[in-house]
Amino acid sequence: MTTGRTKTGIAELDEMLRGGFLQGDAVMVAGSAGTGKTTLGLQYLVNGITQFGERGVYVTFEQLPTQIYRDAENLGWDLRKLEDQDKFRMVCTSPNLMLETDGEEHVLTEPIREVQPQRLVVDSLSHLEMYVDERQLRKELYRLIMLLKARQLSSLLTWEVSQANDRPISISDVGTTFLVDCVLLLKHVEIESAVRKAMVILKMRGSDHDKRLREFDVTPQGITVAAPFSQYEGILTGTPRRSLTDEAANSWASAFTRKGQKHS
Amino acid sequence: MNAKETVSRLLSSEVKGDLLVLFHQNPGLIDTFEGVALRIGRRADNIENDVKDFLDLGLLRTKRIGGQRVLLLNRTKDKETQELLATHVRDTSTNPARTE
Repeated sequence: MTTGRTKTGIAELDEMLRGGFLQGDAVMVAGSAGTGKTTLGLQYLVNGITQFGERGVYVTFEQLPTQIYRDAENLGWDLRKLEDQDKFRMVCTSPNLMLETDGEEHVLTEPIREVQPQRLVVDSLSHLEMYVDERQLRKELYRLIMLLKARQLSSLLTWEVSQANDRPISISDVGTTFLVDCVLLLKHVEIESAVRKAMVILKMRGSDHDKRLREFDVTPQGITVAAPFSQYEGILTGTPRRSLTDEAANSWASAFTRKGQKHS
Repeated sequence: MNAKETVSRLLSSEVKGDLLVLFHQNPGLIDTFEGVALRIGRRADNIENDVKDFLDLGLLRTKRIGGQRVLLLNRTKDKETQELLATHVRDTSTNPARTE
């Protein structure tokens, strides 16, 4: 059986994913504040609508999501227009309501009925931590992810990690990464006294994927992914250093040989 | 109810004004009374009467999500109300006598 791909519409990222996320998968986008999680989530939905005819729902727990509309507009995405066309819904709610699964209706029932989305973004799952204890969190997240899968939604769930702790493994103590199908880590990295951004796919169930760390940036057109950080190593550890390239190694070897000949 | 009466009922208190702006700017807001009140810096009991007025006007509606009663915007009624307000503002600016 072949499974379709849900393209992000960001060509280089889709290439890293070997064509896109697997359809219906739950994807976690983890990263510290300011790494571009929200932008990536919005771009995933807007590209879904404008490039692939897939409608989307964006769930936010922000107190005042007005600025999400504004920030999207600055990137050229008119979310209000897409809402008027019933291709998009911004759901602004409280995390505790998101966890209410008793009764006939879930908080997403009506938006899903109105828009019939194929894609959904929850920004961010970390807010749920405020309402349930650690032991319960994993169970509640599992319930939520299953609810999204039951509706055949390709979901992108953001997860806030502190910059100090965004190690590639063990993003969360409660093992949330185990619950999702794919984990994309966004990270600030300091290279030669400049803060740059890097992304890496840590996990992708049922598919090959690019294992390299790629540089990316948030531009006025949204997220753009650049080449891998081929000249550096140790980036994820927070202490990157230039790796010894073949060219550098050869030139070092020739210099060493010349020096050796001089002394002989 | 005519436009003038609707406008004066919609804007008869500061809380109503805050609620109108909140729901207009965030039409996808679905939250409990406490959650909505918090978003405009109030307490649930402070907004109860004004919310009731909006429910009577049909601008807001409620429903049950699990064990909680939530508030949400009636998008159709919101559009009608916006048109009504726009017409009223246009009429009164071109013909101030009509506000009398």
